[in-house]
Amino acid sequence: MAGTSPGTRLASDIVGGLLLIGVAAVAHVALRDIDSGPTSSVGPAFMPNLVAGLIAAMGVLILILGLIPGGRRLEPWTLRGPILVLGAVVAFAATVRPLGLAVAGPLAMILAALADRETRPMEVMIFAAVMTGFCILLFKVALRLPIPLLPFILGY
Amino acid sequence: MELLDNLYLGATVVFSANNLALCLIGCMVGTLIGVLPGVGPVATIAMLLPITFGIDPIGALIMLAGIYYGAQYGGSTTAILVNIPGEATAVVTTLDGHQMARNGRAGVALGIAAIGSFIAGTIATMVIAALAQPLTKFALLFRPADYFALMVFGLMLAVVLARGSVPKAIAMILIGVLLSTVGTDLETGDERLTFGWSEIADGIDFAVIAMGVIGFGEILRNLDAPEARVAVQAKIGRLLPSLADFRQSLAPILRGTGIGSILGLLPGNGAVLAPFATYTLEKKLAKDPSRFGTGAIEGVAGPESANNAGAQTAFIPLLTLGIPPNAVMALMVGAMTIHGIVPGPEILTKQPKLFWGMIVSMWIGNLMLLIINLPLIGIWVRLLRVPYRLMFPAIVLFCCIGIYSVNNNPADVYLTAAFGLVGFALIKLDFEPAPLLLGYVLGRLMEEKLRQALAISQGKMMTFIDHPVSATLLSMSLVVAFIVLLPTIRRRRERVFAE
Repeated sequence: MAGTSPGTRLASDIVGGLLLIGVAAVAHVALRDIDSGPTSSVGPAFMPNLVAGLIAAMGVLILILGLIPGGRRLEPWTLRGPILVLGAVVAFAATVRPLGLAVAGPLAMILAALADRETRPMEVMIFAAVMTGFCILLFKVALRLPIPLLPFILGY
Repeated sequence: MELLDNLYLGATVVFSANNLALCLIGCMVGTLIGVLPGVGPVATIAMLLPITFGIDPIGALIMLAGIYYGAQYGGSTTAILVNIPGEATAVVTTLDGHQMARNGRAGVALGIAAIGSFIAGTIATMVIAALAQPLTKFALLFRPADYFALMVFGLMLAVVLARGSVPKAIAMILIGVLLSTVGTDLETGDERLTFGWSEIADGIDFAVIAMGVIGFGEILRNLDAPEARVAVQAKIGRLLPSLADFRQSLAPILRGTGIGSILGLLPGNGAVLAPFATYTLEKKLAKDPSRFGTGAIEGVAGPESANNAGAQTAFIPLLTLGIPPNAVMALMVGAMTIHGIVPGPEILTKQPKLFWGMIVSMWIGNLMLLIINLPLIGIWVRLLRVPYRLMFPAIVLFCCIGIYSVNNNPADVYLTAAFGLVGFALIKLDFEPAPLLLGYVLGRLMEEKLRQALAISQGKMMTFIDHPVSATLLSMSLVVAFIVLLPTIRRRRERVFAE
């Protein structure tokens, strides 16, 4: 019976509080080899450690508030958007140097567009081509940014 | 009159065909790129920096200043129409500006933003001209402990502004401060929180965090909740505010100009706080504070004037003390250095032409933006009135190109994607991400001032309370904290902000 009652589903504040405590803990561990120093000559780890401590305190507070019944429940996450949009960004990062803007541009746009169910394939392909052309004119021709265009054919 | 002499000197510099043209091009290109969602002034200036390489230093700085104003203006346009703040200063504009757009009053919001900005710019130019020299002396009296106290106060105001829960807003600011400490420590050379990744040894770029958490976060939120994306399709309506709108906005514009001019002067990124502070003040002064967050014109007029006034007076710490008060000014330091100019007190004494030329060009730039952009708003809007299914892939592409171009480094693009995921998680967990950016922008300077203050006082914490400036600022912070945490006020506040 416990599995289906809404009261047992995770409150989003519990997750949020735990994440904050986790971030603070990771930061604290990562700073263990760095000097905090006495207050008269504050070391490089002083401020991040102080801030991490305060983050942990906020995390505990939010966690406790989340334990109070009646808070907002965690919504189900749809991962289609994040995977495709951020995947498009990663694809751009991976291809812009070796293949250039002329390839990375349309690739990123078409991948990102797949995140939306309303996307029409032909429209997106034409639009991706037009926008890439516009970006090449704006950033490459008009502004002369040093972003590679089509290095494996043009050499730049 | 020394003041008029100085302004006249500036005018003789600006009113050459060459410099006027550079100012105009700067404003236009700045607006064009700044209007693109997710590409704010920081990324715009970073991208356009190379095109100033071939120009003489004065012309280059006039053009960069034009790009700055243009991008900021464009950023406000996007904040109103698409709900994506181009920079931290436009965050507040999204609150009521975007609500006005949803109510079909986008044109009035844009119009009052432009008019308010122009009035603020005009007054701020006069303020700078009158106060440049005396304020150099006053700012020199600010001890590191005072700067630190000032920034604490600013962050407390940001907590007041943030939507939803107070502990969450504080947590977001702290995460921003923590992110600002990532990278090599300048004093000791220790690498902090880089996890051995050399790409972030110099710290994480502001643009990476802003575009990731806010830009991509917003796209993912819109894709997740399709009903929320009415933004760009909304009609613009008439541009000129009615007489009633004007009457309602005039006092907020003037108050915003005052707050913006004062906060912008302080070397410690006061300009970013100005719209936050103005918004808080207007909400407190309003007869019916519950209108705020639902499209109150004062919530656009005040902060927009404040951010423009602050943007202008923010040049003062840069030009007089050589301290970049915010991310854009940090880029300006880079631009000046490239042109062989060392920012600092010497500019005013040794290069008065450059100093006063830039100040007069600010006013000219504001005038150009008002005259050119209001009639051109249709073009900017057409740029934005594309269906969202086409819009967001284009935004993704622009963000990718923008991020890549800041350092010509694909690693920045990967990192932005990671921050996009963070932004999505924050939204899903009911954390408002805007305070994170403010914490990040102020964090580095806060640490620097904290360390300086404690070094000067030889480790005594008393240094923060035994001087009037820092003591006043810290006690004001405490008062704000107390007010925010008072349960009754908090309950009302949540009703105002939680939509």
